[in-house]
This record gives sequence, C-alpha cells and structure tokens, in this order.
Amino acid sequence: MRASDLKSPLAAFLRQTMPFSDLPEEAILALARQATVDFFPQGTRLLSRGKSEVTHLFVIQKGAIKLFVEENGTQHLMDIRSEGASIGAVCLFHGTRATMDAETLEDTFVVAIPRQAFLDAVVRYPTLAQYHLKALAQGNLDRAFEAMRHRPMVGSTEATLPLFSQTLADLVHRPPATVAFGTTIQAAAREMLRQGTGSLLFREPSGAVCGIITDTDLRKALALGIDAQAPAETIMSTPVRTLPATATCFDALMTMMAENIHHLAVERDGKTIGVVSSHDLLVVQGRSPLALFQDIAAQTTFEGLYPVHSRIPAVVRTLIHEGAKAGHITRLIAILNDHIVIRLLELLSAEIGPSPVPYVWILMGSEGRREQTFSTDQDNALVAADISEDFVARAGEVYFEALTSRMEEHLLRCGIPRCPARMMASNPAWRGSLSEWKARVDRWREAPEPTEVLNSSVFFDFRPVFGRIRLGVELRDHITTGCTGQTVFLRHLAAEALRARPPLTFFKNFVVEKDGAHKNALDLKTRGLLPFLDFARVMALHFGIPETSTLGRLDALLAGGHLSRDLHSEAREAFEFLLHLRLVRQLEQIEAGQPPHNYIAPDTLTALEKRTLREAFGVVSALHEVLRDTFSLRI
Amino acid sequence: MFSLVRRIFRPSLAPPPALIANNDASRLLRQDIPLAEAVFTVIDTELTGLSPRRDEIVAIGAVRIHGLSIAAETSFHTLIRPKAGIPKGSTLIHRITPSAVEDAPPLEEVLPSFFEFLHGTFIVGHHIGLDMQFLRRACRRAYHLEPCNPCLDTLRLAMIWREERMASPYDRYDLRISYHLADLAEELGLPTFPAHDALADALQTAYLFVYLANKLATPQTPLAELFSLGRSWRWYL
Repeated sequence: MRASDLKSPLAAFLRQTMPFSDLPEEAILALARQATVDFFPQGTRLLSRGKSEVTHLFVIQKGAIKLFVEENGTQHLMDIRSEGASIGAVCLFHGTRATMDAETLEDTFVVAIPRQAFLDAVVRYPTLAQYHLKALAQGNLDRAFEAMRHRPMVGSTEATLPLFSQTLADLVHRPPATVAFGTTIQAAAREMLRQGTGSLLFREPSGAVCGIITDTDLRKALALGIDAQAPAETIMSTPVRTLPATATCFDALMTMMAENIHHLAVERDGKTIGVVSSHDLLVVQGRSPLALFQDIAAQTTFEGLYPVHSRIPAVVRTLIHEGAKAGHITRLIAILNDHIVIRLLELLSAEIGPSPVPYVWILMGSEGRREQTFSTDQDNALVAADISEDFVARAGEVYFEALTSRMEEHLLRCGIPRCPARMMASNPAWRGSLSEWKARVDRWREAPEPTEVLNSSVFFDFRPVFGRIRLGVELRDHITTGCTGQTVFLRHLAAEALRARPPLTFFKNFVVEKDGAHKNALDLKTRGLLPFLDFARVMALHFGIPETSTLGRLDALLAGGHLSRDLHSEAREAFEFLLHLRLVRQLEQIEAGQPPHNYIAPDTLTALEKRTLREAFGVVSALHEVLRDTFSLRI
Repeated sequence: MFSLVRRIFRPSLAPPPALIANNDASRLLRQDIPLAEAVFTVIDTELTGLSPRRDEIVAIGAVRIHGLSIAAETSFHTLIRPKAGIPKGSTLIHRITPSAVEDAPPLEEVLPSFFEFLHGTFIVGHHIGLDMQFLRRACRRAYHLEPCNPCLDTLRLAMIWREERMASPYDRYDLRISYHLADLAEELGLPTFPAHDALADALQTAYLFVYLANKLATPQTPLAELFSLGRSWRWYL
C-alpha cells in the first residue's frame, strides 16, 4: 500500500477494482470521498425485487452477495457476486426499483457509492456504463457455474480428435492372424480361439491375402449346417477390403459403415500388417469403460497389463463429460483397479503356481472404500487361512513372500506407487493367518495408542478382492461384532477424528498447509475428505455396520436411525462434492502431464466452488457435534 | 524532588476551546439512541512505549463512523514529535523514525485540531483504555482538563463475541486465542490493512467495530446495551 492509499483507503480499493481502475485519479478520489463502508451480516436482505429503491451502488469489498428471483415461494438463483463485483448498477442506470432480490451469503463489507455520485461519474466516463451493461450480458456465463460439475477440461476438444488424427497404423497392435489356404472350418475356429481374435485372414501360397472369415461367418456356417471339416474357403468373404496404414480412423469408420462390414485389413507397402475391427474404432472413439474391462480381461502378459492403469483417466474424462458423479466414478475406478489386481494375481499364480494355503487378498484405505481417485498407492494386505500342519503353513509363508514381492513390483510398474508407510502385503506385518489377524485387531482395540489408531483406521476400511473371499468376510464379522461397545477404543478413534478440523470458512480462516511446497493451497484430502471418512468409519464401527464405502456407511447410518435425514443428505452431498472436486482436479493435473496431488490453490476455484466448499466444511462441524454427542467427548 | 514539585505546580495552558466544546457535547450524548443514529470516532495511537507515565504519543489516527457505516474518507491522521525522542524498540514496531517526526508538531499543537475532529462523539478503539490513558494524561498535564467522551472497547466486544461462539466452555483456556487486532481481522475475515500505522489501525478497528456491533446487536439496538456489553468482563459466566 502506498502512503497516499492510507489517506484514502477507499480510493485504494477502487483503484484495484474493475471498472473503476480505468478511471483517472481525480474521478476515483471524488467517488471515494462520497463513498462509505457498510457491513451486512450473513443473510441480510439488501434488496427486494420491485420494492426496494436502489440508493447506492454496492461494491463488494469482502464477502459475497446472492442475487435471486423469488417466485411462488421458490428461489431461482441468478448469480453470486463476490469481492470486487458490484450490485445495483443497472437499476441505477434505468432509475428503476430493484429488479432482483439480493441477500448476503456471508458477512459482507460493501463500499457504498451514493446514487448521484455514481451517475455523475457515469456521465463523465461512459466506460463505466459499458462495463456494467456488458457484465449484464455476461450474466448468462455466470450461470454456467452450475455446469462446473461437467466442466470440460484441457483436452476435451482433443477427446474427439483421435478419430480424425489417429491413423490405422496406430491401431494395429499385432500382425494379422493368418492361416494357409485350405484349412478346415474347425481348424480355423480353433486358431481364432487360440489367438483370441475375431477374424482370420487366408493367405494364398504366394503370400497374398485372399479372404477373411470372422465370427459372423462361423455363425452362418453353423446355422447352415456346413460340415466342420469342410474347407474354410467355402464360407470366407472375399475380396478383403483393405485400407492403407496412413488412412485415418475416420476413413476406416466411413468405409465400414458404407459397406456394412466390421473388419478391414491394413496395408503398408503392399503388405498386410494387421486387421482393424469396428470394436477397435469404438475403443478409440468412445474410451468406454467396457472396452477397458475387456482389455484387462484379455491381457495374457504382465507387460500387457502395465499400460492399462494409465488409460483410466481417459475413461473417467468421458464419464465426467457425460455428467457422472464422483460416487459412480470412484466405484468404476475401484472396479477397474480390482480387475487389474485380480488379473495380476491370476497371472502370478499361473507363473509361480497355486498357493499351498488358501488366502484372500484385501485392499485397504481408499481402495477398500472404493473411493480411489488417481493419486492412490498400494494399500493391501493378505489374510491366509488357518492351517494346522506346521510345514504347510511355512510353505505358505515362503509362497506369500514370493507372491507379494512380485505383486508389489508389478503394481509399481502399473503406475501404482508403494505405500510410504509400507502398509503392503509384501511387509510381513501386513500378512497373517486369520487367527493372527483376529488377534492383531484385538490388540489394537485393547491398547489404543496413536500408531494403533492410525493403523486400524486405514485397516478398518478393508475389502477382500481375490482368493478365498470368505476369509475376509469372517475377519469383517469379527470386527463388526467385536468393536461395538468397545467404547474406549472407539473414543480414541473419535477423538482422533475430531482433531481433523476443516477451515472454519473459506475466505476467512483459510488454513494453508505450511509445508513449503504448497503455500496458499488447501489440502483437499486431509482438510476436506478426511473428516468425513473418519466420521463414517468410527460411527460404522460403533454401530456394527460392515459397509466400507463412506457413502454406503452414511446410508446405513441413516437407515439405522443414527443420523438425521437432513444431516445425512448434507453430508452425502458435501462428501460427493469434495470427492468430485478432487477427481476433476486430479484429472486436470494428469492431462496437464503433472503427477496428481491433493492441493488446491484457492484462486483457481470458481465462486460457486468456493461457496460449496465452505458449506461442506460447515457440514463437518455438524458431524463433529454428532461425534461428540455419541462418544461423550464434550470435555 | 524538585522535579516532582515542578510537575505538580506546572503552569498550565488555558484549555483549547475545542476540548471544552468536545466535553460539553460529550455530556449531552444520549445512550438511549439506536446504534444506527449514533456517531462514533474510532481512534488509535502509536506510542513510544507502554507506560503512560514515561512514554508519549507519536501518532494519532481517527476515522468516523455514522450509523454503523464507515466514512473512511472522514479521517484524522498526524504524526507527533515526542519530547523525549523515540526509543528504537518502538520504532521497530510502528516504523516511525526520529527523523520522520522531526518536522511534526508537538502534542500540544495537535490536540486542539484532534478534539475539533472528535467533536463530542463516542470513542471506539481496540484496547482503548491504553490510548485514553495517554490522551487523558497528556491533556491533564497540558490543560488540567481531561476529555470525557464515553469509550467502547472493541477488544472487550471481541472477547464477548468469541465467548458466545465457543463450542465448549473449556475453549476459553485455549492459549492459541489471540485478541491482537491483526489476528482478529484475519480470523473474522475482515478486509485487512497494514498494522501499526495509526490511521490504518483506526480503520481496521472501525471494520472490527462495525462487524462486532452487527453481530452482537442490530442497528436498532440502543447504544446503552452495547455499552453494558463492552463495559465489564463477564466473569460470572
């Protein structure tokens, strides 16, 4: 602030505020001289439509004002104005009464410029009027705040481009499956099965491709009762429609649609390098989750699975584009990740043989809650069945050592980093037989020390994914029956949950994580999501709810009558909003080529996001009240 | 010993007419009017130290509030040349250097125009007791006459406001609570101004006062109620 700013603080404010910033100094000073500062507590009705005389232009110095139209008792939100914006300009121009209702959304300081002073300035400096009239037209844009949830991000335009930019050469992953002329129908079908393909090319002895049979042709042959030993040439389609490798995917799609076929051979330098099916094109264009599922299931090698995880963001982008909410998306991500884990374990057991001891692979933390976004790490553990024979148990231990260390490596290559706290099955502390696990849980419960509380909090969200699922269910039963009533332990958990306080409000008590790298940023995970997770977890344990997802737990709490309907819906919405915000932000980061993280710079939030965040933080206080009541933590 | 005698029998100046007018108007102030009609002057001083006996005022800032809206441009600000110089420790706080006040008028020359600005209004300040001690003492020494404007302390109002919002009665023993002007402004989300400049602090206090007055009362509340709130620490709660 300059020395002269102190003499005239309002001039200093106007100098930084559009459109006044464009005015010459003497005009600013003249306006400032006549202006005053007013304060309106949250919820003050400033203007009533059609009733209020507008006597001042209110420029918001701090706070936010909601503009709405009230009709038949329902409010239609028109706009939310915050710092630097003004209200009343248009009414002052037209000399009409208020055209909208206005109410303060939070404690608001406004710089009030008297009607006459403002109009005098408008007459002398028409830019003022232009700005306000233009802002009026842009009002429509502001309403697009609501569309934030589906806001297309970087790369949204490119999302439709692959169809036009990718060439067929990009789509061809492997040489075509071919057989020599004269193969029988049965042998051809067997070859297709073996190679896992939907089409088969026939080569003449010269090497030239002369025909193609597809699944459809085989179906036809079966329907017509053609003998399986007949030569396949009898049912093959010929000639094979061929496109050069340089053709775009769009060309391929057009050709297929025009000729009503589903397979095209791709040719480069006169040689057939592969076959492209309509399904391949669909995957390029649609980025559909289903395609990804099929892709995971079709992988037969570890190398094939590694890149799959990195394709999830593209699928999520599509879903967000289509308006899916975070609750759905995180579930989808969880299922995709589950499938990767399951497929890896299947491949591993094919590689190193089946386990001598039945076991179940369990996922903990966000994976266990099915609330993963992109910045996840390996939180997993292993529960083995109880074995009476000592030597089998020892064989199992050796096997698990090999299995889990390989698994850790494979997951890492898939792009899922190691857990920094080493909560992984490769750590012997996170393996054990069912009875060992039960004893472990009991120990945590009886000696609640800080590390125990932290251990258990992540662990209690576990979910079995692969192997002998029954073992996981049994462990879960042990926890749900064992924890209800254990109030000392749960009070420790609850007290821990109460320590995670969200910022009081957003502009105001904005608490910034002060670990250097992320100044002026909000840690969305620990300050926003964590209180909800902790609340749902401790309440679920207290009331014996086996559910692990936070939204599911909230629903179960409502069904059990432990949570009021209002608070439940508020908590659900707040949590889903936070999750969505985190998801969208991480997606942006990934698309910008950065590693995803949980920090949000407040100035990158829209007014609506800020407001909703503030409200979400408010819900946490209400949840904390419930915790204090339930666990008598009023001291 | 002689200094004591000199101090007692110090020849006094005639009180300036502005101070007499201020005091006459102050006596006529009514506390039953609603807040919306009251006129306040928010003041803040910068000092050479904290002892009213030894230390002096080096700057005065004041801002007017009409009916709970801040007339930010109706302000008063002046530097004052202290008799005994400015100790380094205080310069580090308010950044007023001895050379900055070299040409400033002494307190006696400033007081008449200050009381003219004050003009028999209610005084508001953050920890106003300290500022008033310095002002009263200065006036007593110069004129044997003290200003008698009624004062409201925003620090007390802030304490009451905070207490009303405490979730647990034990929160009051929380040692992290600060009633420092800048901390309060930050916490309550007020527009902030640089600290330790008399005028900026007065303005900051004005924002704080308007905020707290609206939170603890309404514009229709009689002034007397705010006074009874801000007067004493509610030890009985």
